[in-house]
Amino acid sequence: MADFKVKSGLAQMLKGGVIMDVVTAEQAIIAEKAGACAVMALEQIPADMRKSGKVCRMSDPKMIKEIMNSVSIPVMAKVRIGHFVEAQILQALEIDYIDESEVLTPADWKGHIKKNDFNVPFVCGAKDLGEALRRIEEGAAMIRTKGEAGTGDVSEAVKHIKKIKSEIKEYQDTLGDDTDFIKQRAESIGVSYELLKYVLDNGKLPVVNFAAGGVATPADAALLMQLGCEGVFVGSGIFKSSDPEKLARAIVEATTHYDDAETLLKVSTDLGDLMGGLSIESLKNSENPKRLANIGW
Amino acid sequence: MVLYDTVTMMTKRIGVLALQGAFAEHIALLNKAIEDNKHDIEVITVKTAPQLSSCDSLIIPGGESTTISLIAKRTGLFDSLIEFVHDPTKTVWGTCAGLIFLAKQLSNESSLVNSLDLLKVKVRRNAFGRQAESFIETCDFSSFIPDCTGFQVYFIRAPIIEEILSQDDVETLYTLKDGSIVAVSQQGRILGTSFHPELSDNDARFHNYFIQKFVLNN
Repeated sequence: MADFKVKSGLAQMLKGGVIMDVVTAEQAIIAEKAGACAVMALEQIPADMRKSGKVCRMSDPKMIKEIMNSVSIPVMAKVRIGHFVEAQILQALEIDYIDESEVLTPADWKGHIKKNDFNVPFVCGAKDLGEALRRIEEGAAMIRTKGEAGTGDVSEAVKHIKKIKSEIKEYQDTLGDDTDFIKQRAESIGVSYELLKYVLDNGKLPVVNFAAGGVATPADAALLMQLGCEGVFVGSGIFKSSDPEKLARAIVEATTHYDDAETLLKVSTDLGDLMGGLSIESLKNSENPKRLANIGW
Repeated sequence: MVLYDTVTMMTKRIGVLALQGAFAEHIALLNKAIEDNKHDIEVITVKTAPQLSSCDSLIIPGGESTTISLIAKRTGLFDSLIEFVHDPTKTVWGTCAGLIFLAKQLSNESSLVNSLDLLKVKVRRNAFGRQAESFIETCDFSSFIPDCTGFQVYFIRAPIIEEILSQDDVETLYTLKDGSIVAVSQQGRILGTSFHPELSDNDARFHNYFIQKFVLNN
């Protein structure tokens, strides 16, 4: 079994970077040239999945393999929540990272994959601290705070990174150093005492935390970085825009120079038509009003 | 005021390139080594040319070498980096992606990496394979770091040094059992490692070695 640090270590190498959703080898090459630190190989970007209303599954290994062969950066791919056989297949393919993702249709509404049983590292989504820690307890070596995938609306991602950060602070303030309090709280959120204690002592998750879902502009990426995320996933935003290469480069630069307004001004200028998007408010009137971020627990 | 200036002139400054990757880990271990050994050194992150030029030494961290090199090129930092690393008064350490970025030659997957053309070695990217082949090795570095045995290092999609292009200038510091060269020094000024001492929790011995042998010695 691979040491956990070997798995979480790759996520550390991705920090400060942008991971881009790609559906073809050509897009993967554009992403790599733009400076993506990894790509997520999938058959449909979330914006299209959202419209389709169909069951969304692991992508065909043939297309994932093509993408793996076309770039030198790490390649990730998604499996359905709880679908450990899809994960076994991707591990056999030697994928670099698996995303157990709520963007696909869950295979198990009760249990996530026992990720500690795998050599390949996993990234999982989370809306709050308890959810993040439960995934880490199961073996996730990287967390992405969930935004609402396929919308281009960044507000859910903002909400969830702020929630996780404020919960860490709140737990530190209310639990203090009291072993009994910490044990009780750990039990109530379904994680081990040691894991919660680590978070309280260090003021952060024990694994890298990226933002994901709804990132459509360089300013969105920088916003999430300033709020404390360690990197960003960009899904539909890039290849739904009129000039994907330019936007991809701009988001990469904005993620590096997230605290430098001059650079952000430069890279935010003249980007052409951005993803039209779908506001969270309007979702309830759409054909597929389901909130993907609410899947998972 | 005069006294203050004299003091700051003596303080060496190490910059950690912070375009992408595991730079925070390097900073944490540098600070630990500085605190433990009372070195008169300060550490800053480097994203811009003015920050870089204020440094005596530079660490290029692990990350994605394509990403780091492309961002450097695009933001105009690349030329300043070239100038800095080729300045004989400066010291430099590259880990993993940093090693790739420094190497004079790459034997594969080289099209997107604009090299800093410094370290006289040929490097193979992802030499062990994909993430499935990443591993930990407990190393005995006592041949070049006094008493440094049992040091755990991480090889993550790691490169190796396939060939040393100048036997006169480049010294091999460490070789794995299979013969792969994974640590070299060039003229006591440039350090290259294909592994990640910055991931070794709280073990600052490697960083202290860099400070003593390179930063303070140069």
